[in-house]
Amino acid sequence: MIRKYIALLRMKYIEMLAYRLATFVWMTGAITQPLITMFVWMNIHPEESESFVFYFMAVIFVERMTSAWDVWELDREIREGTFSNWLLRPLHPIHWAIAENIVYKWLFAVILVPVWVAAAVFWPALRPHMTGSQVALFLTAVVFGAALRFLLSYSCGLLAFWVTKVAAVYGVIDVISLFLSGRIAPLEMLPPALREWSEWLPFRYMISFPIEIATGTADGGELARGFAIAAGWMMALIGALQWLWKAGMRKNQAVGG
Amino acid sequence: MVIRVSHLHKSFRVHRREAGWLEAARSLWRRDYRVIEAVKDVSFTIEKGEIVGFLGPNGAGKTTTMKMLAGLLHPTSGEITVGGFVPFEQKPEFKKMMSLVMGQKSQLIWDIPPMETFLVNKAIYDIDDRSFRQTLEELVELLDLAPLLDKPTRSLSLGQRMRCELAAALLHRPQVLFLDEPTIGLDVHTQENVRRFIVDYNREHETTILLTSHYMGDVAALCDRVMIINYGRLIYDGELSVLTEKLAPYKRLEVRFSRVPDMDWGEYGEVAEIEEGTVVLRVAREKAAGTAARLLERFDVRDINIEDPPLEEVITRAFQEERV
Repeated sequence: MIRKYIALLRMKYIEMLAYRLATFVWMTGAITQPLITMFVWMNIHPEESESFVFYFMAVIFVERMTSAWDVWELDREIREGTFSNWLLRPLHPIHWAIAENIVYKWLFAVILVPVWVAAAVFWPALRPHMTGSQVALFLTAVVFGAALRFLLSYSCGLLAFWVTKVAAVYGVIDVISLFLSGRIAPLEMLPPALREWSEWLPFRYMISFPIEIATGTADGGELARGFAIAAGWMMALIGALQWLWKAGMRKNQAVGG
Repeated sequence: MVIRVSHLHKSFRVHRREAGWLEAARSLWRRDYRVIEAVKDVSFTIEKGEIVGFLGPNGAGKTTTMKMLAGLLHPTSGEITVGGFVPFEQKPEFKKMMSLVMGQKSQLIWDIPPMETFLVNKAIYDIDDRSFRQTLEELVELLDLAPLLDKPTRSLSLGQRMRCELAAALLHRPQVLFLDEPTIGLDVHTQENVRRFIVDYNREHETTILLTSHYMGDVAALCDRVMIINYGRLIYDGELSVLTEKLAPYKRLEVRFSRVPDMDWGEYGEVAEIEEGTVVLRVAREKAAGTAARLLERFDVRDINIEDPPLEEVITRAFQEERV
């Protein structure tokens, strides 16, 4: 399996280099929304500018590191029939997607981490105050977040076996997640009822939770509970994905000639 | 026996929508479905090393059957085994012993050179270094791939891409090969190359091949046995020559004269064509030789040619029959 992954990663890396411009635009395009949101909040609460700067820079980083685009890929591939291509090969198609995620996120990290470090030199607000164990927990939470978003996106994508243009469904989920994952505002600013909800839904664990660890908002019992809920959602989504896969294979029409 | 299919059925439920704005709006809340039976009660077996042509008009059920054989589609009912495997179970061992090449679809990764796809396949199919090198060398030579390996796939011409597709499909040395329109859109020269390659490859490796094609040249060059499917039913399964005799029990006599006599040809045969200097007659098989002799005796014939009717004609006839 390791040999297969090495080959897939290599191929995805070469493919990524073939789309240099698209990758760059895609990377920078995603930064716009959190950046503008940050300026809006800094304008409303100028006295808390510094914490907003740190929070939204962290949003940019975590959002990129956990982003998932598989629903669009699956939607297109299943609708156009190119998905058969992966099905014919003796390796589950999900591994191609996982390899792609690893390669792109590795590239994001390679670009974002130095940018962050350079910015922190000039902008003290960006300097994190984290202990070693906090860093480890933060990174683990980022991996959890990436896994959750990937699983949700891939499972939604599999719905394309039943519905055409399934990305629209994901669009609705994405709007909900915009608020409940902490991309629009830190979750502590949400009304109490919504905040309560956000703790039980998976979205918090996609973006906000790692940042809460980095800023020290979540620690002790809260931390353990957070990881437990995230792990629970991960199990649930893995189960859903497996079921959708089995049912989808029976439904597959392998369109196109 | 490598492939065994018995009482295979496949039906699809498709959403039916009339044309027009009003109908399109209506279909938002009321959907009419109808069931299309794409494959009906198809049974056959194929032995190891056979090349079988799978023929039928568009929409007859060829590709659907082939997709079921390759494990992409789940049969509605009936049984399939390919090399001892049940295709739709999608076992990795099954996928390692077969390949499906679709002329209309690419398995090569579009934006990177073919060699990269080959390397990925090497890893995924667990091909060891030595056999990979050997197979690749053989395929590069047979298909003349050397100049193509490092160009992005999207910049290859259709013929070049098809040669690379074949190579990608054969790297793991499949025992069963499904070829769906492998020569579609290729020029005559490339078609011939691909055909020659398939024949050689089959002879060398005893690969079992099931092939669909609209080009009768492919069928004539490659297949001794053909299966004809129409409206989802298998209407003929047997030797190509038997089919020709059955459906076209005549020969074509192409007779060249210095000047074509102006006369009624009825006593010799049915006139298929008359052109300057040439008459083409359809003559019953058993009378062909005698008729030719009589023509030579009575007229100033410059040249005479006896041949089977063109395969297109035979197949077109077959497509019109309920059962051959």
